Amino acid sequence: MKKRFMITALVMALIASCFSGCGGAKEKLKLYIWGEYLGEDVISNFEKEYNCRVIVEYFDSNEMMYTKLAGGSAYDVLVPSDYMIERLINEKMLQPIDKSAIPNISLLADGVKNMGYDPDNTYSVPYFWGTCGIVYNKNNVDYSDLENEGFGIMKNPKYKGKLYMYNSSRDSFMIALKQLGYSCNTENENEINEAYKWLIELDEATEPVYVTDLVIDSMAQGEKDLAIMYSGDAAYVLGENENMSYYTPACGTNIWCDAMVIPTNAENPTLANKFINYMLTKEACMDNTLTVGYTSPNAEVLAEVTAEGGDYAENEAYLPRTYALDEIYHDNETIRRLTNDLWTKIVANE
Amino acid sequence: MKHYKKMVYPYVAWISVMVVAPMLLIMFYAFTKDGNAVLDFVFTLENFKKFFSDTIFISVLGRSLKIAVITTVICLAVGYPAGYFISKCADGVKMKWILLITFPTWINMMVRTYAWRGILQDDGIINKFFGLFGLGPVPMLNTGFAVVLGMVYNFLPFMIIQIYTSLAKLDTSLLEAAADLGANKTKSFLRITLPLSIPGVLSGITLVFLPAVSSFYIPEMLGGGRYYMIGNLIETQFLTTENWNFGSAVSLIMVIIIIVSMYFTGKADKTEIMEQRGN
Amino acid sequence: MKRQNKLSSKILMWVLALFFYAPIIYAIVFSFNEGKSLTNFTGFSFQWYGKMFRDREMKEAVFYTIVIAALATVLSTLFGTVAAIGLSKSNKGLKFAVEQINNLPIMNPDIVTAIGLLVLFATLHFKNGFGTMLLAHVMFCTPYVILSVMPRLRGLDPNLAEAAMDLGATPLYALWKVVIPQIMPGIISGALTAFTMSFDDFVISFFVQGNGVSNISIIVYTMSKRVNPSINALATLVTVIISVFLLLANIVPSKIGKKKNLALPA
Repeated sequence: MKKRFMITALVMALIASCFSGCGGAKEKLKLYIWGEYLGEDVISNFEKEYNCRVIVEYFDSNEMMYTKLAGGSAYDVLVPSDYMIERLINEKMLQPIDKSAIPNISLLADGVKNMGYDPDNTYSVPYFWGTCGIVYNKNNVDYSDLENEGFGIMKNPKYKGKLYMYNSSRDSFMIALKQLGYSCNTENENEINEAYKWLIELDEATEPVYVTDLVIDSMAQGEKDLAIMYSGDAAYVLGENENMSYYTPACGTNIWCDAMVIPTNAENPTLANKFINYMLTKEACMDNTLTVGYTSPNAEVLAEVTAEGGDYAENEAYLPRTYALDEIYHDNETIRRLTNDLWTKIVANE
Repeated sequence: MKHYKKMVYPYVAWISVMVVAPMLLIMFYAFTKDGNAVLDFVFTLENFKKFFSDTIFISVLGRSLKIAVITTVICLAVGYPAGYFISKCADGVKMKWILLITFPTWINMMVRTYAWRGILQDDGIINKFFGLFGLGPVPMLNTGFAVVLGMVYNFLPFMIIQIYTSLAKLDTSLLEAAADLGANKTKSFLRITLPLSIPGVLSGITLVFLPAVSSFYIPEMLGGGRYYMIGNLIETQFLTTENWNFGSAVSLIMVIIIIVSMYFTGKADKTEIMEQRGN
Repeated sequence: MKRQNKLSSKILMWVLALFFYAPIIYAIVFSFNEGKSLTNFTGFSFQWYGKMFRDREMKEAVFYTIVIAALATVLSTLFGTVAAIGLSKSNKGLKFAVEQINNLPIMNPDIVTAIGLLVLFATLHFKNGFGTMLLAHVMFCTPYVILSVMPRLRGLDPNLAEAAMDLGATPLYALWKVVIPQIMPGIISGALTAFTMSFDDFVISFFVQGNGVSNISIIVYTMSKRVNPSINALATLVTVIISVFLLLANIVPSKIGKKKNLALPA
C-alpha cells in the first residue's frame, strides 16, 4: 500500500511537471488586468522581445482589484478604471510613470489624453476606453421606445424577463441618476435615494438578471433582448450577432477609460515602464483591439479599424456616439459606501 | 508513553493562530464600526441592527433557508429509497452501486456544476428534447429550479451514503425475528428499519443542509444573480463592497442559525458526519 | 407486487446514475466539439484541447492544484499524525479543548473558514499567493487526518511502545517501529481524504488566492462567465487524472473496505 502510494505521488509529480511552465531566472513582470482584456499574442511577443516572463492575473471588478492590492498583493502593472485610478492616486498607492521610458505616449489619440482623473497623465496611460450603453435586439425592441424612454426602457414591463443588468452598483446608479436628470457624481443623498427607488422599481417591473461578463456571450447568442453593457463588449456582441445594435441615450452616460498604472509596491518598475510603452505600439494595440473589441487609445489604430473596410467600420459600438451630458465618474468614498449598501439591497431584493 | 505528550504542542500553537484567531477576528469585526482601523475601534451592534431592521436582508435569509430546506427534502425523498435499495442488494452489487454513486464526487464539483449550464440552456439538450414534442423552450437556467437542482446534484450522494450506512448496520436477525412473529413487510419496516435508520437520516440532513444554506457559487453559477443567498451576501461584503464588518456580522448570524438547526438534529453522529464530509 | 417494487427501485437507481453522470458525459462530449457552442455539437475536433494546453492560466492552475494538493497532503498528514499521537497522551482537559477546536473547520461552513483566513492574512500583512493558499489548505486538511488517526490510536496497546523502550529502544525508534506501523491504515485514509479535500477546494482557495496563484476550481469559476469550451477539455482532463489516481492508489478497494468496516457493528 505504501509503495502504491509512492508510485501515485510520483505520477502526480510527473503530471505536475508537465504543466509547470518555464521556471528559470528570467525577469518577471506581474500584471493584474481585467479578464479577457489581452490580445492573443501581445504577452508572448513582449516576453520574447524583452526576454522576461509575464505573470498575468485577472480581476472582474475594480473593487476586487483594490481589495487584493490593499491586502498586500504586489503587482508591477495594473489596468483599473478611471475612478479607481483617482482613488489609488489619492491613497498614494501609485508611483508616477517614467515618461522618458514611454516615448509611445505620443501615439495616443487626443480624446484619451489628460482625462480628469489624472490631468497630466502623471500616473496612468490609457489602455482602452468607451461608454456604457444599451445593447438591444433590432428585431424585438422598438427603436422609438429607446428614443422616448432612454435608460427607462429597462423598466418597461413590455420587456420583462428579457433583459440583463450589469451587476455593479456604480454603473447601475449611473444609469438611474442620468435618467433622472442628475449627475452621476452627485453628492446629494436625496437624489441617490431617488435613484435607489428607480432601481428597485426596475427590479420589480422587469425582473432583470444581474450579471457581469456572462452578458457578453449571452447577448452574442441573442438570449435576451436588452442589456446594459460597456461599448467594447457591445462591439464584440455586434460583431458576432447582426441583429444587435448599441444605443447611448441623450440623457448622457458615463465615459470611462481603463489605464495602465504602476503601484508603489511594484517589484520591477523599470520593466513595468517598458511594458506600458510596448502596449502602446501599433502592433500591440491592433492585436488588443481586434481580439477584445474595445476601443483603442492609439490614434493610428483607431483610424485604421474604423475606416471603410476596417474591422469595426460599421459597428455602432466601437466608436460610440457621445453627448454633452456624458460624464467621467469620480470616486467619493461616502457616496460609494452608500450606493454599495443600497446596491446590495437591490440585488438581494426578490 | 508520556514521552509523546509534547507532540501535540505545535498543533496547539497552530490551531490557536489558524483556527481560533480567525474566529476572534470575525467577532471583532462584527462588533466594531466600519472603517478598518484596528487600533481605534468602537464597539457597536450597528451591523446586526442593519441586518435585522431591513426586510430585504431578512428575505435573503428566508430565501436561503427555503432553498436549503427544499434541497434537503428532495435529497431525503430520493436518497432514502436509493440507500434502502443499495442496502438490500447482494454484497458484490452493493459495492458497485456505492462506487457508482461516490465516483462523481471525486471529480471537481465546480467542473460538474458548470456542465449543467449547457444542459439547462434554452437551446440545451433538455429543451431540445421538449422541442421534439413541440414544447418549450422552458426557461430553466437562472431560475430557482436550477439552483435547487445544482444543490441536489452536489449534495445528494452524501445523503444516500449516510442512509445506506445506517441501514447496512441494521441487524437482519431483527427483521427475521419480526417476520417469525408474524409482522408483515410494511409493519417491520415502520417498526424496525425506519427507527433504526434515523441517525443516518439526521446526519444526512446535516450534510445536505449545512453546505446548501451557506453556498454561494451554485446560486451564482446557475441562478444568474437573481437567487441571492446569504453566502452571496457574505461574499459581496468581503470581495466587492469592502464592508468586512457587516460581512462578519452576517456570517456570525449564519453560524448561529446553523448551530441552532444542528441542535435539532443533535442525535446525528457528528464523527460520521465529519468522516463523510471528508469523502 | 414485489417484482414491481424491485423494478421501480431499479428505475430510480438508473435515473439517479444518469443524473450523476449526465454532466460529466456532457462535458466530455462537448470538449470535442468543433464549434464554440455549448449546446450544438457541430463536428469533432481537438481544438479546445490545443487551446487548453496553450492557455498558460489553465496550465498553471492545474500545476498549482496538484502541487498544493501534494504538499498539503504531506504536510497535513505529518502534522496531523504527530498531533494525534501527542493528543492521545494528553490530559483530558487539553484533549477535549483541542478536539473541539479541531472540529471547528470541519463543522463551519466553508465560507466562514474562508473569510476568517482572509481577515487573518490581511491582519498579519501576509501577501496572498502560494504561501497563503498552502497554509489554508494545511489548515483545513489536518483536522481530517487527526480524525482518521485518532480511532486507530485508541485501539492501540499502550504497553507495546513501553515494552520496546524497556528493551532499549529510544522513544523515537519505538514510535517509528511500533506505533506508526499500527496506525498506518488511519494515516493513509487521512492522507487520501486530505488530498481530495485540497484538490477539490473552491471556496477557501477563492478567498486566499493571489499573485497569479489559483487552482482548477477558481479558473473554472472565473472563466465560466464567458463561453469557453476549453473548460470542458479541462473537465475531461480532470476526470482522467482522477480516474487514474483512483486506479493507481487503489482507493476503490480500500474505500469499499472502509465502508464495510463502517457497516460492521463496532
